[in-house]
Amino acid sequence: MPEQQITLTIDEEGSITAKTSGFKGASCLEALEELLGDTTGIIQVKTTDEYHQKQAVQCSETIKLRN
Amino acid sequence: MSAVIKTTTPFTIKEVLFSALARLGAEPVLVTAENINTFRQQSNVAIDDIITNRRDYNGLQLFCFNGDVWQLQHDQDEYATRIVSATQKKYQSVSRFLSELNVAYQGCYLIHLENIAELERQRIEQERIDRVEATRQQAIAKAKAQGYSVKEKHIQGKIQLVLTRSV
Repeated sequence: MPEQQITLTIDEEGSITAKTSGFKGASCLEALEELLGDTTGIIQVKTTDEYHQKQAVQCSETIKLRN
Repeated sequence: MSAVIKTTTPFTIKEVLFSALARLGAEPVLVTAENINTFRQQSNVAIDDIITNRRDYNGLQLFCFNGDVWQLQHDQDEYATRIVSATQKKYQSVSRFLSELNVAYQGCYLIHLENIAELERQRIEQERIDRVEATRQQAIAKAKAQGYSVKEKHIQGKIQLVLTRSV
């Protein structure tokens, strides 16, 4: 069964860096939106090559938020 | 005729004054509703005054707050002066005493500022800890609500949450 994984790293100041894997296309952004939608202060979104592959089975993406 | 006068640093902070008096061995005592009756004397004593162990004709010399600064109340002629203490004996003139108190007050004021800075540093640090913890708890709660299992690690002062779910 496919697995979706999000790794959240909360730094010493409470900023969050999120990295996803196992999502199809833009669904990784939607998953992060669901998870961190209330969090404000997104300062960086970096998509990977996998994100742009239409038939990609997996994508990974990092997103960084500042509280 | 000319004159030069020098005043002390205005004694504005009660805690600093109290510390400075203690440093000089003036054995300060804060007058409260509970102990005021032990200070009945010729000069008026009120709650919140700071009594010293310096006695003169009017009784124990004390500091009272006039709304701006703490002022020493004492007999102008410094008549019948002595120190009321088990350990201190030598009475110094008011001017000498205030001069030494001035130096002690300035030293205690610096410590007071350091204490304030330390308290502020602790407050900011606690805010940071609370912020991180709130972020962690919120992330875990939302992840679990969305069907993720959560594994937590602590790496170099950072919290890593690995959220996994099967689809």
